[in-house]
Amino acid sequence: MLEGIYTGLTTALLPTNLVMVVLGCFVGTFIGMLPGLGPISAIALMIPITYSLDPSSGIILMAGVYYGAIFGGSTSSILINAPGCSGTVVTSFDGYPLAAKGEAGKALAIAAYASFTGGTISAIFLLVAAPMLAEVSLSFQSADYFALMVLGLSAVAAFSGKGQVLKAILMTVFGLMLSTVGTDRATGVERFTFGSIDLLDGISFLLLAMATFALAEALMSVLNGEHKESDSNVTDMSQLGSMKLNREEVKEIAPPIARSSVLGFLIGVLPGAGATIAAFLAYGVDRNIAKAKDKLKFGKGSLRGLAAPEAANNAASSGSFVPLLTLGIPGSGTTAIMLGALISYGIQPGPRLFVDNPEVFWSVIISMYIGNIVLLILNLPLIPYISRLLIIPRPILVPMILLFSITGVYLVSFNSVDIVIMAIVCSLAIILRLLTFPMAPLLLGFILGGMMEDNLRRALLVNDDSLSFLWERPITLTIVVITALVLIAPVFQQTIKRLFKIGDQDKDLAVD
Amino acid sequence: MQMSKERVGALIFLLLSVIYGYYGGQIVLHPGDELEPMTARTLPYVLSGLGIFLSIILFAKSGQSARVILSAEKYDWLPVVLLILLTLLYGLTLDWLGFLVSTTLFLMCGFWILGERRVRVLLQIAVPFVVIFWFGLTQLLDIYLAPGRLFEGF
Repeated sequence: MLEGIYTGLTTALLPTNLVMVVLGCFVGTFIGMLPGLGPISAIALMIPITYSLDPSSGIILMAGVYYGAIFGGSTSSILINAPGCSGTVVTSFDGYPLAAKGEAGKALAIAAYASFTGGTISAIFLLVAAPMLAEVSLSFQSADYFALMVLGLSAVAAFSGKGQVLKAILMTVFGLMLSTVGTDRATGVERFTFGSIDLLDGISFLLLAMATFALAEALMSVLNGEHKESDSNVTDMSQLGSMKLNREEVKEIAPPIARSSVLGFLIGVLPGAGATIAAFLAYGVDRNIAKAKDKLKFGKGSLRGLAAPEAANNAASSGSFVPLLTLGIPGSGTTAIMLGALISYGIQPGPRLFVDNPEVFWSVIISMYIGNIVLLILNLPLIPYISRLLIIPRPILVPMILLFSITGVYLVSFNSVDIVIMAIVCSLAIILRLLTFPMAPLLLGFILGGMMEDNLRRALLVNDDSLSFLWERPITLTIVVITALVLIAPVFQQTIKRLFKIGDQDKDLAVD
Repeated sequence: MQMSKERVGALIFLLLSVIYGYYGGQIVLHPGDELEPMTARTLPYVLSGLGIFLSIILFAKSGQSARVILSAEKYDWLPVVLLILLTLLYGLTLDWLGFLVSTTLFLMCGFWILGERRVRVLLQIAVPFVVIFWFGLTQLLDIYLAPGRLFEGF
């Protein structure tokens, strides 16, 4: 492991890669601050730039953008009560009331310290857990990979929230359908190309990501009338108040930060969970274990209520890299987009990454730590200045985001037909968003679709065309059982809730 | 007729899955492929079946739940439709007008659609921005951008 850390350090500390971390954190913070634009859009916008870099620098830039976007999301949650991404929604519960009391500086500092600690603890866990898991996963076969991919897709759907499970599964299926467009890799047969040469290579991953996220999110903000909103609440950012914390405040936030960091990492590792669930859970746990007096402060500017989700969402962001780096299976939309980018570089994430491209594997882990330091020492003092970029009027900013999304795709393919396809895909994405269908499972299904089909085909070939590998291999069987449990859990949850509800009603009746 | 968001979505996916399944059946197979356990048609068939099954469940299930009606009125549709049309137009004119002209027009129209009506401001922001962007791409990153078919003779 020490050798790996050394490899990571020598790669991550190269001047180019240091510039990438700083640039990534800075750009990510800015994009993350824009309400509506989340880390997926931020990373999608960066992908065309990373094509000209070597894979390590590219993934380091994207990782920097990821933390930056989460940090930027927290900043807009605290300052203008408009979370930049779903992972920082909980931050606004106590962050904004603090800012409203004139303690925005303190809230930002707590968010930064909590994020830094969460990220650091998580990076240390990652340093230990990832190589161990990578070594174990070297013994995995096609059958296990197929089962793991099904688990990844099912988990993303199962964790997508109340009433959304079925929709998320449908979106995953839609993503898988889109992945079948193009030439079948195994047989060389054309599928769903309708005679078009442009579709022979399939739908571009970058095009789909840009159209369904960056472009669609920017247009959704227009659809919701956000471009008309005045920027008056953004103007007084030069008066954020003191960023210093006293000893009592540090004592108050230290335990929740430590707890939430561990919790966040563990949730981040789970496929499908991620920063949003981690933040909500950490907030809930801390509120539940707080003393009655402290409990009342939650939602009104509690320091603990701000620190806990901030530590958890950053820890979960790092944690989500574990399945990506060790198994090649993304646990979230954000890591899915990174997987897509890695594949475009010609790198196959998974257990072989650890063996074939150790510099990528280790430099990402080390750069995470550097990224956290950059956020703390560079971004925090610069927040008053970075946030001034939010003053750029929306009528100017939105067309520029559209332009960057479009040119990002065009400058890779130099095919103007892609822009037309983007407009059509984006229109569909907007309709699906309005119908409250989640987009991340679509991307995940699309990226994993090809690999899933390849692994299933290989597993069938090895197993004499029989599906018995699903229950004959212990590892595969374990994963299949977990998948079944993950899919059944929401159904059981609803039934149990219904039973309890009925129980409560009975009790009420009895009291009456 | 009022319909919940879930039901509208379920119908869209049902239609999509049926069409996908139909075209899945049109995939050409190599001779002897029918003896293979997994052909180029297998996954499309499975996905189509799954899509149909899930959309029927979603349709049936959403009837029981509280309805959230899709209302088109609360959204600002016009600028979004215009921006999508503008993107389409940009894609269609880029090869003809070239990067500099079409991108400047795209930005100016985009600003205008979102409410910026001062022509001087439109020009002051769009022109320098596009020129710097173009300079960065062509001169610093050495990316070739065709001048546009209309200007090729000049």
